[in-house]
Amino acid sequence: MFKRNDDKITASQATIFLTNTVLGAGILTMPRSVTQAMDSPDSWITILIGGFVIMPVILLMVRLCLKFQGQTIFEFAGKIVGKWPGKILCLLLILYFIIIAGFEIRTLAEVGLFFLLEGTPIWAIVLPFIWAGTYLVSGGINSIARVYQIIFPITILFLIVSYGFSLRIFDFSNLRPSLGDGIMPLLKGLKSSILIYTGCEVVMIIVAFMENPKQATKAMLGGIAIPFGLYFLTIVLVVGGLSINTVITSTWPTIDLIRSFEITGFFVERLEFPLMVIWLMQMFCNFCSFFFQASLGVSQLFKVSYQTMIFIMVPLIFLSTMVPKSRQDLFALGDAIGMMGVWLFLLTTVLLSLVWWIRVKGLKQHV
Amino acid sequence: MLLLILLSFLLLTGCWSSKEIEDLALYAGLALDVGQPAPVEEEFEAKGATYSKKNKVMATIQIVPTKSTSGDEKKKMIAPKHYINISASGDSILEIFRQFSIRRDRPIIGHHLKVIVINSDLLKKQTIEQLMDFVLRDNDIRPSTLVFISRGKAQNTLISSQPNEIPAFHIYGMIRNRSRTSKVIQAVTLSKLDGLMYSKRSLVLQNLETAKGETEFSGVGIIKGSTGHWIGNLNQEDTEGLAWIKNEGHAGVIKTYDRDNEPITYEIKSMKSKTKVHVNDGKIAFHVSIKTEGRLIEIWNSKGHYTKDESNIKEVEELFKAKLKQTIDELMHKLQSVYKVDVAGFGEALALKDPRLWKSIKDDWDDLFSKTEVTFDYELKITEFGSFTDE
Repeated sequence: MFKRNDDKITASQATIFLTNTVLGAGILTMPRSVTQAMDSPDSWITILIGGFVIMPVILLMVRLCLKFQGQTIFEFAGKIVGKWPGKILCLLLILYFIIIAGFEIRTLAEVGLFFLLEGTPIWAIVLPFIWAGTYLVSGGINSIARVYQIIFPITILFLIVSYGFSLRIFDFSNLRPSLGDGIMPLLKGLKSSILIYTGCEVVMIIVAFMENPKQATKAMLGGIAIPFGLYFLTIVLVVGGLSINTVITSTWPTIDLIRSFEITGFFVERLEFPLMVIWLMQMFCNFCSFFFQASLGVSQLFKVSYQTMIFIMVPLIFLSTMVPKSRQDLFALGDAIGMMGVWLFLLTTVLLSLVWWIRVKGLKQHV
Repeated sequence: MLLLILLSFLLLTGCWSSKEIEDLALYAGLALDVGQPAPVEEEFEAKGATYSKKNKVMATIQIVPTKSTSGDEKKKMIAPKHYINISASGDSILEIFRQFSIRRDRPIIGHHLKVIVINSDLLKKQTIEQLMDFVLRDNDIRPSTLVFISRGKAQNTLISSQPNEIPAFHIYGMIRNRSRTSKVIQAVTLSKLDGLMYSKRSLVLQNLETAKGETEFSGVGIIKGSTGHWIGNLNQEDTEGLAWIKNEGHAGVIKTYDRDNEPITYEIKSMKSKTKVHVNDGKIAFHVSIKTEGRLIEIWNSKGHYTKDESNIKEVEELFKAKLKQTIDELMHKLQSVYKVDVAGFGEALALKDPRLWKSIKDDWDDLFSKTEVTFDYELKITEFGSFTDE
């Protein structure tokens, strides 16, 4: 492919990179998972709390990365906890990325098959996406970021337009009463509302690629604020438009919201098809992020060429896509991924920060 | 280069699972009736063309548009219908639909389903959850589909005497008349119905009545949440009452008779209501304030009582108020004493006011509601007299 030397990204590119890594298929099922756990219309409060919980997490990751400028977690983990423990941590992280990459593509295929392409074999949807992803990822972080910059405004604009039209079935009383059952449901839903930020570990990789690391904090907080805002908007509109009882019984509540009204006389009467087609691009971006991180991780960890790694990743990702046997398996995998994310955060960010702090501040070692 | 050309043959073959729209049969309406073999089916079955089933439900679908007939001009003397209705019965709606595939040349597809009409007798035998299960799960049928009830045969609502009309679209369009009358309730879509069914709330669906190939919205059918069965209908005036209480109406008329027994009519320009909940030691009471403004639009009495002085207007306002009160009282009597269900949104008001209390009683709410005190006050103001003056 093309040889590039400018493998650096600007602050705004980094922001969009983080946004696109977090924002994927989750938005289609999130209202159900949160509402189901809570059984109360207060889900929007939980999403707000979840957002404020995730902010310090991001800050912690950025702080850790800034200690090792220009290095990704795959490079600096070994320096903190020692070569082999570091490698094991990173391998876990890479495995996690491969699983998510497969999960994203599989969700994309499931939604596509159910609503758009009934009858197409699943591999015929999955493979072109993986191939296109391979091409994009082989261009390096800069190309990926540029593609994100092009796709992001389109998908978000269309999502907002669809949401705008959904206001015609919005009923504020569906969101009331607030705190009717006290704060217990809020805590029950908190888990689901944090799990939707799966993928934010990318912070520990993209900060290393930033042209100007001083802007890292601002850029990363911005990158998490966009999905946070969109999640909030989604939960308010979906619950407000459908009522919690409908949300709980719906497999893809966000799509069902758009399917619940028709715009007679508009140039497309039903918005779910264009929305889904455009959201496929968003899920593709999401997938590419994890593809990129997994390939980069292995290549940095074992000093293998990045380009070779990409091609080795392709069958692995395909396998991880095809592992879930049914949609139930897929949702179970989604939950498992969320939990893995939490553990990995504890293992990587918190553990690494702690060890670093003890070694530098306590033992006065030079890391 | 040759490789590229070959590759393009492989890759540019178009959509994998594409189906040409000409080869599909779109259905726009679905009517569900009590199961009995349709006449055609009876003949099929007599010849042994059947499969194992119980005739619990008869599904009728309306396929549009049928193939445009081309060719002989003379044969076109009878105006061709723009739709075909086709019926079959069985005990699984999907199985019935698939059964159509061995009777029709084009596969049916549900993307454009607009209305579902359910016969009320069927809803006495089967629950609404059973009947709606398939349409809610299906991936083609959109949750924006509207659901109606019909006291007569549901399949008759999909027949029209107008030559150029597709009944399913006609019914779908009639919902727009909410801007003219409050006898049309807020349309119940599948997604709304889904939520109501899940929470076991009693609900109303617009009732369709047919006569001589015409269909009319006439009142609403009540489905009791705890059982999922149809329990009765409310008439057109009760439906107006519902709109007043639920604060969902936009327009309509109040007609009453003056002291000479001549009709006078009030055109509603605004209708608003507010439900207040009072909870005292677990005793629940509601108070509904109804406010309306409008114009005096039609007077048949020629004796000239209607001058614009204050006392006169007051008198007329009282007449309309009395009529409004009568409508509401009749409705409340039916809800609280006859059917014992709350379909007027009192439960929702309570849920907002006191969610904890609501959680503990919501399962027997319909019963509790029938013993709950509901009071009303009315404020009616005639603001003008139209563009004609008889002073």
